[in-house]
Amino acid sequence: MSLSTLRIIGFILGVFLITLAIAMLIPMAGLLVLNQPQDLNAFLWASLITAVTGCFLVGQGRPKNATLRPRDMYLLTSASWIVVCTFGALPMMFIEHMSYTDAFFETMSGITTTGSTVLSGLDNLSPGLLLWRSLLQWLGGIGFIGMAVAILPLLRVGGMRLFQTESSDWGDKVMPRSHMAAKYIVLVYFTFTFSCIAAYLAAGMGWFDAINHALTTVSTGGYSTSDNSMGKFSDNAHWVAIPFMLLASLPFTLYVAAFRGSWRPLWRDQQVRGFLLILLAIWFVFTLWQWHSGDHQFLDALRLVMFNSTSIITGTGYAVGDYSLWGSFAFMIFFYIAFIGGCSGSTTGGLKIFRFQVALTLLRGNLKQMVHPRAVLIQKYNGHVLDEDIVRSILAFSFFFTITIGLLALALSLLGLDPITALTGAATAVCNVGPGLGDTIGPAGNFGSLPDLAKWLLSLGMLLGRLEIVTLLVLLTGTFWRH
Amino acid sequence: MPLASLRTISYILGLFLIALAASMLVPMLTVIIDRHPEHLSAFTHSAAITVFAAVLLLRFGHRQRGVLRPRDMYLLTSLSWITVCVFAALPMVIIQEISYTDAFFETMSGITTTGSTILVGLDNAPSGLLIWRSILHWLGGIGFIGMAVAILPMLRIGGMRLFQTESSDWGDKVLPRSHMVAKYILLLYSLLTLLGFLAFWWAGMQPFDAINHAMASISTGGFSTSDSSLANWQQPAVHWVAVWLMILGSLPFTLLVAASRGNVGALWRDQQVRGFLSFLLITWVLLGTWLSAHSEHAWWDALRIVAVNVTSVVTTTGFALGDYTTWGGLAVLVFFYLTFVGGCSGSTAGGLKVFRFQVAYVLLKANLRLMIHPRAVLSQQYNHHTLDEDIIRSLVTFSFFFTITIGIIALGLALFGLDWVTALTGAATAVCNVGPGLGPIIGPAGNFSSLPDGAKWLLTVGMLLGRLEILTLFVPLTRAFWRH
Repeated sequence: MSLSTLRIIGFILGVFLITLAIAMLIPMAGLLVLNQPQDLNAFLWASLITAVTGCFLVGQGRPKNATLRPRDMYLLTSASWIVVCTFGALPMMFIEHMSYTDAFFETMSGITTTGSTVLSGLDNLSPGLLLWRSLLQWLGGIGFIGMAVAILPLLRVGGMRLFQTESSDWGDKVMPRSHMAAKYIVLVYFTFTFSCIAAYLAAGMGWFDAINHALTTVSTGGYSTSDNSMGKFSDNAHWVAIPFMLLASLPFTLYVAAFRGSWRPLWRDQQVRGFLLILLAIWFVFTLWQWHSGDHQFLDALRLVMFNSTSIITGTGYAVGDYSLWGSFAFMIFFYIAFIGGCSGSTTGGLKIFRFQVALTLLRGNLKQMVHPRAVLIQKYNGHVLDEDIVRSILAFSFFFTITIGLLALALSLLGLDPITALTGAATAVCNVGPGLGDTIGPAGNFGSLPDLAKWLLSLGMLLGRLEIVTLLVLLTGTFWRH
Repeated sequence: MPLASLRTISYILGLFLIALAASMLVPMLTVIIDRHPEHLSAFTHSAAITVFAAVLLLRFGHRQRGVLRPRDMYLLTSLSWITVCVFAALPMVIIQEISYTDAFFETMSGITTTGSTILVGLDNAPSGLLIWRSILHWLGGIGFIGMAVAILPMLRIGGMRLFQTESSDWGDKVLPRSHMVAKYILLLYSLLTLLGFLAFWWAGMQPFDAINHAMASISTGGFSTSDSSLANWQQPAVHWVAVWLMILGSLPFTLLVAASRGNVGALWRDQQVRGFLSFLLITWVLLGTWLSAHSEHAWWDALRIVAVNVTSVVTTTGFALGDYTTWGGLAVLVFFYLTFVGGCSGSTAGGLKVFRFQVAYVLLKANLRLMIHPRAVLSQQYNHHTLDEDIIRSLVTFSFFFTITIGIIALGLALFGLDWVTALTGAATAVCNVGPGLGPIIGPAGNFSSLPDGAKWLLTVGMLLGRLEILTLFVPLTRAFWRH
């Protein structure tokens, strides 16, 4: 790792920090509008510290004749999430006087769009803080889309090479020719956010709640302004949330084409179809089951099932009611679908649909190969040939994913957590979902009572999940730092 | 599927049934020695029915060498486990007057060397029944070794091609030149069982218990002659004998044969054996230390208790020494993980098997390196075999199918109204052929008798799937299999 590379990375991190400092102006503006200036100081100080650090890093300058190699991107992406999280936690610490552990956990949960919270009594919390949490998710969401569209396909991360397009070039040049695409993606993201605000307003939410929830819906984050999560709001609000969570978990690159008038790529995409199909199947089976077994009208059952299952599968993490009380069948379903996640190139976490589909293609091919051992099969996904490289990286990713969750759960139970909390807590963190299962961290609980070390472990899990694990892991190998 | 293949398969199944009927002589003998002639008729009747069915199959069947293609082996292996299980369940139905569901579950659990039981009051159960259960384990164990050594490496199952040797030829000829190997394996298996019997006897068991436990240990089965499993015997020597036998039962038998003929290096240098033994040792020490710190046991006692339970779960045996689920949250999680590990390939153990973890580790390491040097050419090896794409793909497939199978069975069990701990660990323990699950119902202190019938059938399917490395059973379900 040469010094000039580190200086470029420092420069870029500086730019991110300045952006973060500017983003802190928004909750300040919010506080002024709501006429609650007592928390203004906290943001002012946080913003100042962040801006000074950012300017310092930028001030080091950008070396003229140095470029980033693909492998440097691992360090850059990992470092940027960590640095942003470190400073993003400052306002929380200043306002709520909570420990840095709690603030860091909450911030990490925010920018990774997880949505697990250590705070309780959200309904009476400072509006500045609430807005800041939502904003963190919103920024984290667009940051992750950018990463998934522009950077990950270049790197050999978990089969993401399947999503290499003409605009993401696999070679020594790192910066893709995707400025146009990036601009459109940001535009789409803004459009969704504003339509979501409007829809929530129409559904009867207040301005403040509508803005906050819109920010956390399109980022599939899941922070709410109430301890009851979306349970506090009307049925109509739930119906609004469902399509927007869905929209946010489809590949944003395909929206760009759709935005320009061509809907076919979006509709013909195997991943999108698979995702919608899985969702429909879950809704159908689950609604029938819930309606049949329960105390709900059909429409209520439909709403509860659609809302909660979409929220978990997309990794959002809103809850309406405590679904962990629906019985062991529901319990299992919610545990499983937390792993699925949305489409690649969206704001969602989890394993992602395409990995399941690729696995399915491989399974079919393998069964056929077992019958005809000498057949030559060309396996394709979405028109891309599944070469050995992709198969290997998907295998590696799935194993790392499982191992990470397993180890994290083991460590959590060493700290004294019960097995359910440990296992579902680890899973929900790595999949960036939000709530776990069980009494402590279930949809009705929160993460506040966990020991400090457990919070740090879960923060690490959320970061690992967001960076598709291997991005961070590669930094820990000896080879990475040599030459 | 040409008729000639079907007839050959039928012929072989007939032979298996004859062997099964012949093995029913052992419990008959036991019953006579034990002076309980009232149980004799159960076995004579079952044997008669089995022989009758065998004769029918032999009549329809035809012995023709070279007719079976590799792909026919999928059908043959799947059918032989099922057929044997169908008839082996008969004595239980007659003797205990349990339903056929229960008998089938118990038998499947026996021949897949799982060790989950639906019987209570084992301490006072008829001796004929107890020995029959152990024999099922023993037969299932040697059957699985044979399958894993001779058949699976030829088929493209879950990376088992890594274990192709000169004696298992990959081609159109199915019968491998492995008569010698097979003979030695059978000899060694019997010898180890005998040694196990003597060791258990020496350690303080009654001869009858010693025979049963020797058979259930070497086959990594786990049926016991007491409801409290190994805890019924206080002597530490009994526990250590069990540990040694279980470990021997989960080492690759081809290597054990080589070692017993003087080539100890083959066993000692094998990457899988080393990985397996060091994993066991580390787990013993860590968990033993943890247990002695969290309970009143002295370190040695704790180590012994942990060694028995850990070895039992890792080797997918399923003996229990005390209820480890009461040790605390950490232990529950650890034992849940251990369920999946399994022993070495080519042994009687189930689970994912050690080599799959090791291959995965090699791949993961290489993958991280490739991420940094995208154009590097790395040759990835495991046990001196190159890991080619074919092996990787079949490994991916196996792991996914394995996970999906457990997931779906667990979901099915939850639909039958089981709580989710029972559902999830029950599915895992069945597919991994371990034995006990976790939780109050099917945990090491409980048993499977209270589950609904549907759940028992589902678990039976799970055990069979696990034993046949899942894909063997799935292939005959594809359409491509039945064409031409």
